[in-house]
Amino acid sequence: MKQKSFSIPAMAILGILGLIFTAVADLMLSSYITSVISFIFLYMILAVSLNITNGFTGLFSLGHPAFMSIGGYVAALLILPVFRKEFFLPDLPPWLAVQQWPFFPAILVGGIVAALVAVIIGYPVLRLKGHYLAVATIGTIFIVRVVLKNTEELTRGALGLNGLGFLSSIWWIYLWLVITVYVAWKLKFSSWGRTMLALRENEMAASCLGINTTMVKIAAFVIGAFFAGISGGLWAHLTTVITPESYSLGLAFNLVVMVVIGGSGSISGALIAAGGISLLVEYLRPLEEALGMYGLGQILISAALLLVLIFRPKGLFGTGELSILRKEITYRSAR
Amino acid sequence: MLRLTKRMKPIIMISLIMMAAMAMVFAAGQKEAAADAPIKLAGMYNLTGGFSSIDAPGLNGAQLQAKLINEAGGVLGGRMIEVVGYDTQSDQQAAATQAKRALDQGVIAGLGYGDTTFVMAAAPLFQSAGLPFVTSGATHPELPKWVGDMFFMVPFGDDDQSFAIAEFAWEDLNARKVVVWTDDSMDFTLALSKFFKQRFNELGGTIVHEVFFQTGDTDFSANIARLRDSGADAVFVGSIPNEAGLTVKQIREAGIDMPIISADGYDTELVATVPGPQLANDVYFSTHTYRNDDRPEVTRFVEAYREEFDRDPENAFAALGFDAVGLIADAIERAGSTDGKALQKALAETTEYQGVTGLIAYTRPSRVPEKPVAIIGVQNGEFEYLETWWPGN
Repeated sequence: MKQKSFSIPAMAILGILGLIFTAVADLMLSSYITSVISFIFLYMILAVSLNITNGFTGLFSLGHPAFMSIGGYVAALLILPVFRKEFFLPDLPPWLAVQQWPFFPAILVGGIVAALVAVIIGYPVLRLKGHYLAVATIGTIFIVRVVLKNTEELTRGALGLNGLGFLSSIWWIYLWLVITVYVAWKLKFSSWGRTMLALRENEMAASCLGINTTMVKIAAFVIGAFFAGISGGLWAHLTTVITPESYSLGLAFNLVVMVVIGGSGSISGALIAAGGISLLVEYLRPLEEALGMYGLGQILISAALLLVLIFRPKGLFGTGELSILRKEITYRSAR
Repeated sequence: MLRLTKRMKPIIMISLIMMAAMAMVFAAGQKEAAADAPIKLAGMYNLTGGFSSIDAPGLNGAQLQAKLINEAGGVLGGRMIEVVGYDTQSDQQAAATQAKRALDQGVIAGLGYGDTTFVMAAAPLFQSAGLPFVTSGATHPELPKWVGDMFFMVPFGDDDQSFAIAEFAWEDLNARKVVVWTDDSMDFTLALSKFFKQRFNELGGTIVHEVFFQTGDTDFSANIARLRDSGADAVFVGSIPNEAGLTVKQIREAGIDMPIISADGYDTELVATVPGPQLANDVYFSTHTYRNDDRPEVTRFVEAYREEFDRDPENAFAALGFDAVGLIADAIERAGSTDGKALQKALAETTEYQGVTGLIAYTRPSRVPEKPVAIIGVQNGEFEYLETWWPGN
């Protein structure tokens, strides 16, 4: 039984188009517009990774910003040059004060640390279901924030870290977008992915089939947290600032909106919804400034969510994908 | 072949949409042609949020100076100056993003902010781009060291203003035991308290205890309870404008009459309006000089501000914004160009720019100007100039 989950030509064309787009943006557009596009790519990474936790596995997690903070701070602390650490963070433990890592490994470590924290948090928290899980993950945002504010020797507390290097070029972010989409896609169309989808539909039935629901849930949570940590590191080095308040519940809400509008469980849906919504918010910014109505974009996002939930609760694609990207999976019976 | 075409159509459509999107974004990203366009300065200010009471006047002062310079003929033989305002909403991330946007829009220098933390979010971007940044109101004495050689301060440093109010408290208020309240979420307030305690201890005074709070706090009752039992002669509140009015109001509402002292974070009308005229009493703070000063620069500034905005300058930060643009324009004339390096050199060599807030000269190795500090008292909601303190006393 031969099955390919995706049409390679279609994916390749999209990947190359994306690459061309990135090249055009980097070389020909102003650096402000390039950073706007970088933010749009970051939202796509976040939406797709949240889809793994919320969409595939049905865990209502609002904890992405907590992992972004962890990943962001770890990456920032590793990347910050030693001379800056001396006057910015004079009380760092000596082994940390001499570290000065290049960009890619530091971001990676940020993601790994976020994933480790997710393992630790996951065991107790993922026993909860539905609303309880949501509230517990909101709690993690606040716990992480308070820890960051109070470990001043490590993090400068509430002041945050600023003047970080502007290292997240659009190329790095595009690379991570490709990695995230690839991992998500491979995951979805593998037995792991089908297990997660089954767990989402009916956990009791899934465990009756012999699935270790705990392992699957923690795996989904951890993978989502890893990419959230990566995004946090990328985001911090795009805005050059990170504070304990940087990634908040508001961001978690927007990400959930993107996942819902795109369709829980649909990767192309998450990409399109994330791209569309963040593009819309950027477009509205001059209007917001002209009218003095800051927050107009946020109002529209919430309104869009309401409309989608009322008229098309499955979202754009439901659990499916953009049809041209999928190749027919044909099950041939034994002949 | 037919099946391929069917599959290809959506791919072609998507490719066309993406190319259209690229074209749109490309068109939006085109920069304006320079030609004889005005000289643009980026006015980075927090026009909304917790810092608006000092930053909005700052931008007003900056744009007023640009207007006056243009009316007098501009710089470099007739080119007009334009201060483009960027509101960063008292949010550090917005500060960094808007700084990038400003740099994209062809500014030749940046100026602004009344607070150290926001300068640290925006100025390093100007430093990396090789363009000068002149802060109108951020006062941390280590800022020039932290940001780099493209960075210049118009105001005095926190060390000077804290020393000034410490000495005022010792000599004029006869305070010997002081309680210190510190906002530990801002670089600025941490610096203020550090320098205040240093000078007050040197004079022989005692700091009874120190408590902390954070920007955004609205309830100070725990600190007030400790204050009441402290037996102190005065309380020093290291706060930014956002908490200035609230702290005075709650301390006075609790029936505590001791003098409340602070630094330029209290130079905001909130200190009088929030507590109201009955409670806004016995408040003293150090700030930048311009009130009650009859130098010609000051009179000219106050009159021009009244004419432009139909009111007196709200606080010293308006005068500082005014001075920042004046300093940059003066440096442009001395440098003879708007090139980043030339401008930086001319700014660094400033030895006698007569600003509204005093003489600006970068003679100290720390590159922090040595400027006079004014002590202002608030009685019955009225601001009253009391005396001037000079550094190096």
